[in-house]
Amino acid sequence: MPEGVTSAQAAALSGAAADKARRKRAYARHYWPFVVPAAVVVVAVIVFPWAFTLWMSLQEWQLGSGRSFVGLANYERLLTDARFHDSIWRTLYFTALAVIIPVVLGIAAAMAFNRKFPLRGLARTIFILPMMATPVAVALVWTMMFHPQLGVLNWILSQFGIPPSMWVYDQSTVIPTLVLVEVWHWTPLVMLLVLGGLASLPVDPYEAAKIDGATSWQAFRYITLPLLAPFIMVAVIIRTIDALKAFDTIYVITQGGPGTASETINIFLYLNAFAYYNMGYASAVVVVFFTLIIGLALLLLWSRERFKDNVR
Amino acid sequence: MSQITRRQALTAGAGLLAAPALVQQVDAQGAFNWRRFAGERIEVSLTANPRSQILIQNQREFEELTGIRVGSEAIPEQQHRQKFVIEFASGRPSFDVIGISLHVNKRQVGRARWTVDLKPMIADASLTAPDFDFADFGAGAVAFSTQADGRMDTLPEFTDYFILYYNKEIFARANARIPETYDEMYETAKRLTDARAGQFGFVGRGVRNANVVLYTSFLLGTAQRDCVDANMRLITDTPDAVWAGEMYKKLMRDAAPPGVAGFNWNESQTTFAQGRAAMWLDGVGFAAPLEDGTRSRVAGKVGYAVVPRGPANHHCALFGTGFGISAASSERKRGAAWFYNQWAINKTNQLRFLTSGAGSPARQSPFRNEEAIRTSRFGQDFFTTLIESARIARPGLPEIVPVTEFRDTLGAALTNTIGGADVATELRRATEAFRPILEQSERAT
Amino acid sequence: MKARPIRRWLHDLAFGLSVIALVSPAALVFLWMLSLALKTEIDNVAFPPVFIPNPPTLDNFRAVFERNDFLNQTLNSVIVSFSATGIALLVGVPAGYGIAKMRAHKAAVLILIARITPGLSYLIPLFLLFQWIGLTGTIWPIVITHLVLTVPIAVWVMIGFFEGLPAELEEAALVDGATIWQAFRHVALPLARPGITVATILAFIFSWNNFIFAMVLAGRETRTLPVAVNNMLTFEQISWGPLSAAALLVTLPVVVLTLVAQKQIVAGLTQGGVKGG
Repeated sequence: MPEGVTSAQAAALSGAAADKARRKRAYARHYWPFVVPAAVVVVAVIVFPWAFTLWMSLQEWQLGSGRSFVGLANYERLLTDARFHDSIWRTLYFTALAVIIPVVLGIAAAMAFNRKFPLRGLARTIFILPMMATPVAVALVWTMMFHPQLGVLNWILSQFGIPPSMWVYDQSTVIPTLVLVEVWHWTPLVMLLVLGGLASLPVDPYEAAKIDGATSWQAFRYITLPLLAPFIMVAVIIRTIDALKAFDTIYVITQGGPGTASETINIFLYLNAFAYYNMGYASAVVVVFFTLIIGLALLLLWSRERFKDNVR
Repeated sequence: MSQITRRQALTAGAGLLAAPALVQQVDAQGAFNWRRFAGERIEVSLTANPRSQILIQNQREFEELTGIRVGSEAIPEQQHRQKFVIEFASGRPSFDVIGISLHVNKRQVGRARWTVDLKPMIADASLTAPDFDFADFGAGAVAFSTQADGRMDTLPEFTDYFILYYNKEIFARANARIPETYDEMYETAKRLTDARAGQFGFVGRGVRNANVVLYTSFLLGTAQRDCVDANMRLITDTPDAVWAGEMYKKLMRDAAPPGVAGFNWNESQTTFAQGRAAMWLDGVGFAAPLEDGTRSRVAGKVGYAVVPRGPANHHCALFGTGFGISAASSERKRGAAWFYNQWAINKTNQLRFLTSGAGSPARQSPFRNEEAIRTSRFGQDFFTTLIESARIARPGLPEIVPVTEFRDTLGAALTNTIGGADVATELRRATEAFRPILEQSERAT
Repeated sequence: MKARPIRRWLHDLAFGLSVIALVSPAALVFLWMLSLALKTEIDNVAFPPVFIPNPPTLDNFRAVFERNDFLNQTLNSVIVSFSATGIALLVGVPAGYGIAKMRAHKAAVLILIARITPGLSYLIPLFLLFQWIGLTGTIWPIVITHLVLTVPIAVWVMIGFFEGLPAELEEAALVDGATIWQAFRHVALPLARPGITVATILAFIFSWNNFIFAMVLAGRETRTLPVAVNNMLTFEQISWGPLSAAALLVTLPVVVLTLVAQKQIVAGLTQGGVKGG
C-alpha cells in the first residue's frame, strides 16, 4: 500500500486520533465533485475493461467465428498449456534479472553522481537520456547491433579478443540480452530515485563514523545502505512492475523467439489475442497475468512495510 | 537511393508497354465506360513490398482514367495481417480493396465471407473492360484464389515461389555445381562453408513462424509433400516429415551462420547481400534488393535456380497474394474497387512487377514479352527460373484457418532443432500440440 | 609525503574512468544511431563497421520525409500526446486535489492498480468498445487508450503534491468565506504549479513513447510516430538508414524535453516514486 494508507489506518487505530479523523471525513465529503470527472474516465477506460475482460474470459471467442459461453474452460486450458507455463517462468527469470542488475548499477551510479566532479551536469544528462528515448525506436537499432556476423557489438568484442556472442539470436542468450536493453533503458530511473534518497540523508552519522575511523566502504555498507533502504525498495517495486509488463522491446526485437525462448506472458498474450484471434483465451491470460502482477506488487509493498518496521 | 534504381527499372518496363496500353484504353473506352464511378473514393490496404510500391507510385494513372480517388497504404506484412482481420471482424473495415496473403488468410477470409465473389463481376460486361482477359491468369493462380465452395473472392496479384539464390562468385571460386537435389545442396553448402573466413554455404529462415516455409520446401520434395492429409489431419510427425526436419536441422547447423536460429528473411538477406552466404532459399521478391548496388555487395553476381528436388518429388513452395473487395463496402464502392483491381492487376502493371524484379506476376502474358525480358536488368536465368518454378509450384502452407498458430507451434520446434534438439521428438511434440487446435478449427467449418 | 597526492590522483583517475564507463553506453548508442542515419545503406551493414559517415549524407532523412507520410504521423503523435496529456491534467489535477483532501485512500489504491496493470490488457475490451460505438478509424480511440496511461500518472503525481502542501492557506481562505472551488482555484492551484509541470512532462512522455495501442488501433490516417518507425522495416527490403533517421526524429522531442526540463523530471520521478507509484 502507499504510505498514506497505512498511516491513516494507523491513525484510525489509535483512539485519540479517531475523533479528529471523523471530523476530517465529514468535512472531506465536500470535495467529491473534484473527483467526478476523473472517476468517469477511470470507470470508462479502466474499470470497464477489467469487468469486460473477466466476462470475455468465460467465452470461446475466435474473431471471425461465433462466440459461446464456455464457463471456466479457458482457465482449464491454461492449467494444461505448457507454453503458458513456460512463459510464466520466463517472465519471472526476465524480471529477476531486469530488477537486480539495474538496481545494483543504479545505486553505484547514484553514488558516483552524488559526488561533485567537473561536467557532472552534462554527464548526468547523458546518463538519463535512455530513460526518455522511445523504446520502439531504440529497440530497432539494438536489433541491428546484435547481428551475430555484421553487428557492431560483436565487432567491439572482437577488438578485445572476446569471441562473438549470439545475443538475441540464440535461445540461451536471448533473455540476458533483452535484459541488457532493459538495463540500458531503466538504470537511470533507479539512479534518480536513489539519488533523491542520497540528497535527503543526514550528515551526522558520517561525521561520527569518520571519527571512529570507519573506511568509506564501511560507511557505505553500515550507514548509507540502511538509510537508503526505503528508496531502494521503491526502486525495486517500480522495476518489478515495469519488468513484468515489458513488451515493446521484446516484441520489436524478438517477438518471443528464437523458438519460444523469449516468449514472456505479455508476448504470449499478444499472440493469442492479435495473431491467433483467440479473444476468450487471451482474456483468461489477462486475468491470470493481472492477478500475478497485483499479487507480486502487494507482496513487495507488504515486505516494504515489514522492512520499515524492522528498521524502526 | 533505392527508389531511384527502382524507378529506373520501372521506366524500363513501363516505357515499353505504357504507350500501347494507353492506346488500348482509349480504344476500349468506346465500348466500355471507365468513368462510371467517377467521383467515388476508395481505400486500398496493401502489404508493404516492392509490388505495392509500384501500384502506389502509378496510382495517378488509375485516378485519371476513372475519376475515382484512391487512398492507399502499404504496411508491414505481419501487422497488415493482424489489422485487416481485426477490422473485418469489427464489421466496419476502413478499406474497400484488401491485399490478402492467400497462404495465410485464405480459409479465414473465405469462411467469414469477408470479401465478395468476383465471378459475377467478371461476367458482367458493363463492369469488366473487354481487355481484362481473364484467361491470361495462370490456372494455378486462379485455383489459389478460389475457395472450396467455388467462390473466387480475390483476384490473383502475385505468385511467390521459393527459389534458390546463389552467389556466382563463391560458386566459381570453389568450382561448385548448382545442386539438383537437397542432399547435393547440403553437401555443397557444407563444402562452401568456411566459418573462420566468415563464409557460409547456406542461409535461410531460422526464426519460428517464418522458418516453417523453408521446412515445407524440403517437405514438398518427399512422397508426402503436404503438412495435412486429404482429411485435413495433421501429418507433421511422419518419417517424411522427419526427413525434411533432419534436412532443415543439418543445413542450419552445419552450413549456416551461427545465430541463424534468430534469422528471418531480413537477416538472411543481409548475410547474402554481404556476400557471406553461398546459397539462400527464399521467395522471388528479394531479387530486386539483391541486384541493387546501393545496398547489396552481390549485385550482378547473383545466380537464380529452381529449388532442388527431394527424394520423391520436385516442387517449389508456392505463396500468393490476391486482391479482395470488402463485402462491407457499398455497392458503388465495390464497383469502384473492382475497377481498381482491374487496373492494378492489368497487363502493364504485371509486366512492371516482372521486369523490375518485384515479384512473379499472376498473369502469364508478361513472361511472353521477350523484348521486355531481354532489356531487363535481370539475367535470363532469373526469368527461366520463374517460368520453371511456375510448373512445379505447390502451396507451401496448409490451407487451414489457424495458420499463424500452426507456424508458431511447428516453427518453435524447428528452431529448437537448430539448437540441437532431436527432430523426431520435437516434431511429435509440436504435432500433438497443434492437432487438437486444427481439429477444433475444422469442426467449426 | 609524496605517496598521498599520487594515491589521490589514482583515485580520481579510477573515479573518472568509472563515470565514463557509466555514461558511455548511453552516449554510444545515440551516437551510433546518428552514424547510421548519416551513412549510406551499404556502409550501414559493412563489417568491420564504418563509424564516421564519409561523406555524411542526408538522404536517409530525405527518404523518411518522402516516403512515409511522416509529417502527417508527426501531427497525429502531437494531437494524441497533447490531447491525452491535456485531458489527463484537466481531470487529474482536481481529482488529485479531491483525493488528497478527502484522504480517499481507496481511490488512491485504485489509481495505483490502474498504473500497475499491463497496458495490453486494456486493448481487447477497449477495441471492442470502440467498434460498438463506431469510433474505429478515427483518432479518438488512440487518444482515449492513451488516457489509460496519462490519467493515473497525473492523478498520482498530483495527490502527492497536494498532500505535501500546507493546509493553512486554504483554510484561511475558507474561513474568509471563499468556496471550496475558489480555494482550489486561487490558492492550491498556483502552489501546485511545479507538480503540474511534472505531471505534464511524465504524461507526455508516456503517451509519446507508446507503441502498442496505436499499433493495434491506428489506421492509415491516424498512425502515430512509434508505429511509423516500426513500419520502416518493410518486407523484402531493409532500410536501416531511414529507420535510424526516423528513430532519431521520434526520440528528438523527448530528448529535448529531457534537456530542458531535467530538474522537474528528476524531482517528479523521485517524488512520484517515494509515494509508492
